[in-house]
Amino acid sequence: MKWQRKDILGLEDMSVEDIRHILHTAKVMKEILMRPIKKLPTLKGKSVVNLFYEASTRTRTSFEMAAKVLGADTSSIAVAQSSVSKGESLYDTAKTIQAMRADLVILRHPSSGSANFLADILDSGVINAGDGQHEHPTQALLDIFTMEEQLGDLNGKKVVIVGDVLHSRVARSNAWGLQKLGVNVTFVGPPTLVPVEMEGLGVKLTHDLDGALPGADVVMALRLQLERQKSGLFPSLREYSQLYGLTT
Amino acid sequence: MWWLKDVWVIDPSQNLSGSRDVLVKGGQILEISSSLSEEEVLAKAQGESLETVDGKGKFVFPGLIDVHTHLREPGQEDKEDILSGSRAAVRGGFTTILAMANTQPVIDNRALIEFVRLQGERAGYAHVLPIGTVTKGMLGGELVEMADMKAGGAAAFSDDGKNIQNAEVMRLALEYAKLTGLPIISHCEDKDLAGDGQMRRGMASARMGLKGIPASAESVIVARDLLLAEETGGKLHLAHISTTESVDLIRRAKTRGVDVTAEVNPHHLIFCDEEIRLTDTVLKVNPPLGSRGDRESLIEGLRDGTLDMIATDHAPHTLAEKARPFAEAPFGIASLETALSAIWQYLVLPKRLSLERVIEAWSYSPAQRFGLSGGTLKAGAAADMVLFDPDFSEVIDSAQLVSKARNTPFLQKTLQGFPVMVWVEGQLVQRNRTVL
Repeated sequence: MKWQRKDILGLEDMSVEDIRHILHTAKVMKEILMRPIKKLPTLKGKSVVNLFYEASTRTRTSFEMAAKVLGADTSSIAVAQSSVSKGESLYDTAKTIQAMRADLVILRHPSSGSANFLADILDSGVINAGDGQHEHPTQALLDIFTMEEQLGDLNGKKVVIVGDVLHSRVARSNAWGLQKLGVNVTFVGPPTLVPVEMEGLGVKLTHDLDGALPGADVVMALRLQLERQKSGLFPSLREYSQLYGLTT
Repeated sequence: MWWLKDVWVIDPSQNLSGSRDVLVKGGQILEISSSLSEEEVLAKAQGESLETVDGKGKFVFPGLIDVHTHLREPGQEDKEDILSGSRAAVRGGFTTILAMANTQPVIDNRALIEFVRLQGERAGYAHVLPIGTVTKGMLGGELVEMADMKAGGAAAFSDDGKNIQNAEVMRLALEYAKLTGLPIISHCEDKDLAGDGQMRRGMASARMGLKGIPASAESVIVARDLLLAEETGGKLHLAHISTTESVDLIRRAKTRGVDVTAEVNPHHLIFCDEEIRLTDTVLKVNPPLGSRGDRESLIEGLRDGTLDMIATDHAPHTLAEKARPFAEAPFGIASLETALSAIWQYLVLPKRLSLERVIEAWSYSPAQRFGLSGGTLKAGAAADMVLFDPDFSEVIDSAQLVSKARNTPFLQKTLQGFPVMVWVEGQLVQRNRTVL
């Protein structure tokens, strides 16, 4: 198939064909990464800008390395040392990047929808590396890739995602992507972190981890931010781990 | 002198809806009668020059009174000022607008009240009536000098934009304001429940990963303020009601005789939360757009009189402020120039609301509640008046808007049904969509 998209902003609006195409390409790329000399000319002469407004280790390094393996020239905008710290808006930064004629921008930003916002402004492609609590499509694609490696075809499988689903872009992207591939997705956590309106994602909701585990093919545990305790969403780590900790 | 011939007159103040002729002379309504002859009219003109308008297929009604506008002056004139805002008002069919007090500085003393009133007079378009804050500095603590501010021209008191969190301060305000006879306008929003939410809490907010504001953030304060008004006998007006629960609470309070009125904004009658897209900061508004069910309750509440008035909550912002990711953009919709047309197109044409009810709720009821002149076409009343052409259609275009703001959801969209002539005290201030 021919790749038609300018951007990768989320899995909610991505077709099954697009997802399969990416997973297939990733499989080939993984073989290339196992070679002693891993360098391809695919993106030679293209420029890739990493624009990260939030801390990141894995995602940022992965994007940078991937771009280099494919032969692109990469630049990173360190937000703390950039004009952003002088109050420059994302809109202004986007206009600057547009003028520099970057070919691809990788954005991580604390606001939901920021990647869509940037993509509307830029002629270049935008890959969402996490926008607020909205989506983290590449993380979910990687999770799905790993699941397929382990389990084969995911159609009809059951995936349980446990933890702070409400605030998780990873959970949202996984829910959209996995369901498109025929997976039954269940969110588990206390009612404050798995509220009833999450049903709109089409997933099953439960507050009982033990009841959700039997028959699960994959269990994903989300990172819990301690600030959620301060805002009263759960009373203590002690009780949380008793109810939702994964123990063998 | 003006002679509007064969025009459909809607004047809820005299229960009138029918084809008539309207005569305007010396800034006042001279008379409304059936089929006057030219000789009769010329005799009444007594030599004054006469302009005749063929009103066939058009409506005339009292100029709309908007009890909730943000004109941003003093302090935020990059968003709007009293001149641009009052021009936008008459372009949209409003002849009287109440200016909210959350400017910079906030309007919390008589000098500032008089400044806003004077700026309105200098502008010379719509009547601009200032609303004062309830508390000094809008900090929710000490009450302002209400009697002095009323003497300076204050039409009401409100800390709009912020809720008065301290129930005792609200109780005292309702009690003390009885001295003035003016209503306390309450912006009902519990700060803790609303948190840093960006849109109504529900399936749409959960899907997009935007922090939600529960409906209860409004309704718990509505309940509180109704009880306080009941206990004190104070005069309460509830701004921008947006939830089913609030409508139910108000309906019940009215049956108990609580001295309360409430307003609803056009955008809450037209849009709902599921229509918001992540990049649609133009629909980011406070209170946030509710569910479909809320929208139905609001329409029902407006029909049965539970909600007394329509008010725009015209909230102008600059493009730069709205051109941000959703969570970083300010709340608010600019609507003076589009609101009447939007209500016509989305609610009157589909027969959800009668035009008579719309005019009552947007001119007569506000005049009654806030003790204002206007809201009537009775003989002898000042000729604040709108000629409305239901067939006039217009693309809402940046170049045509006279407000400084462009944050309207109708930008580049076509609306149909517009005020095509607007008079303030008999003086024509807008003709064929152009402000004179």
